[in-house]
Amino acid sequence: MKLPPRILCRRLYHPNVVEHQVKHPLFPLTYGPHSLQYKVLENTLSKYVPLYGFDERAIVASANELGLGGAVISALGAHNSPSFFHTSPAVLELVKFHLVTKRYALTNALDPSRAPGGLSSIPDELPTLEALFKRRLELNVPIGSHLTPLLSMLSIPGEYLVNTALPELHRLSDDLVFFSQEKDSHDFAWYAKRAAISCAFVSSELFMAQDKSHNFNKTFEFAEEKLHKVTKLGEYYNNTEEYMWYTLLTSINLAKSQLTRG
Amino acid sequence: MYRRLITRNSHRSFAVLKGLKNVEKHAPTEQPELFKPFSEAQLAYLERVVRVNQAGELGANYIYAGQFFVLANRFPHLKSVLQHMWDQEVHHHNTFNELQLKRRVRPSLLTPLWKFGAFAMGSGTALISPEAAMACTEAVETVIGGHYNDQLRCLNSQYEMQTVQGAEGKSLELQSLTSTIKLFRDEELEHLDTAVDHDAHKAVPYILLTEGIKAICRTAVWTAERI
Repeated sequence: MKLPPRILCRRLYHPNVVEHQVKHPLFPLTYGPHSLQYKVLENTLSKYVPLYGFDERAIVASANELGLGGAVISALGAHNSPSFFHTSPAVLELVKFHLVTKRYALTNALDPSRAPGGLSSIPDELPTLEALFKRRLELNVPIGSHLTPLLSMLSIPGEYLVNTALPELHRLSDDLVFFSQEKDSHDFAWYAKRAAISCAFVSSELFMAQDKSHNFNKTFEFAEEKLHKVTKLGEYYNNTEEYMWYTLLTSINLAKSQLTRG
Repeated sequence: MYRRLITRNSHRSFAVLKGLKNVEKHAPTEQPELFKPFSEAQLAYLERVVRVNQAGELGANYIYAGQFFVLANRFPHLKSVLQHMWDQEVHHHNTFNELQLKRRVRPSLLTPLWKFGAFAMGSGTALISPEAAMACTEAVETVIGGHYNDQLRCLNSQYEMQTVQGAEGKSLELQSLTSTIKLFRDEELEHLDTAVDHDAHKAVPYILLTEGIKAICRTAVWTAERI
């Protein structure tokens, strides 16, 4: 078994898509949009999850509608999942499907490998981080009333948290930075920015789970403010660092000039 | 019989012109060839290559910064030499920075440590003597040059790509990465020669300095590949 830190810090090189085919277009899902699994889960997520929440009932209802029969549920998740004590593996697969497909839906029009018109259809100007962040929250609106059980499933300590929930959250914040106008960095700030955005996203989702306002207006206000605070914090840090460097260099120069004077 | 002659004639062409024909045929295809997907191991290795090279060039950059900071005013004849090597390192670092962002590779988590350690190493050896600084350069560039060579070997042997049509070859992206690494390796080895020319062998605890620094560099490379 792989160690958790190795899974968490594992990343892959992204070769250009003009020259290289992509193995799994919906990575980390290993099935494509034409598979049976995808069709069942897609149908469940769009039609039955808003009704029943992330539940076996939703999957069974969707499978019945597609004429497959409820037994399909046992083929959806791994049979030896260590999480079967609290949630059925099929439901966990549904949750994973929700996280991954919503993340891809966010950047479909911005990624040359998935945009319908290829490279030429990519807009010249990328959206701002705030716009992308809010768009991701908007994708949660149809399942807004079922967010609490979803978030609790995602946060139970265990194999699922380490293998799916956290990496998926970090992939989301990585996408948010990469596909927005946000300036990216080459050093430790790379990690700090992603961690801050992940925190802001999780707290906005938690807020959304409790939000009773019309169309989740309060959630979007909260998200905007949270993101603003995070960016502000980054600015404070950068300004402090710059000032410290300035002070250090001036004092070195002052010391040097005093020494040469003797 | 007559028909056969005609058909034969119509196929006839001059060997010298054949090359021209082919060129004409291939010239308008600007669309690059499509290659089959990389395996996960290949992608993981490329990611590691970009990260470790970025961290390495960052370190080299800061080592020269440290040396320049101490030596530039005390030994003016070394100033232009150091400046030249430093400028090249800055260019290398920028190249890998660009690749890191474009190819979505994560930078090394220990970046602050590399910055601090490299500056300390550069200025520390320069404080001993200019010869010690040159011995430091020699040791660092030996390890870096060897490491670049290892990468080139791996890129040559493990990346036999196939196009969708089944032809063997390498994508332009891989070719450009390989040629970048080759160029940078040559420039690093040029720095090695420069250091030896400027009395690196006359540094006083020569064996201790170079072997110690080589060991530190190898550990840093090993760590930056992983963390």
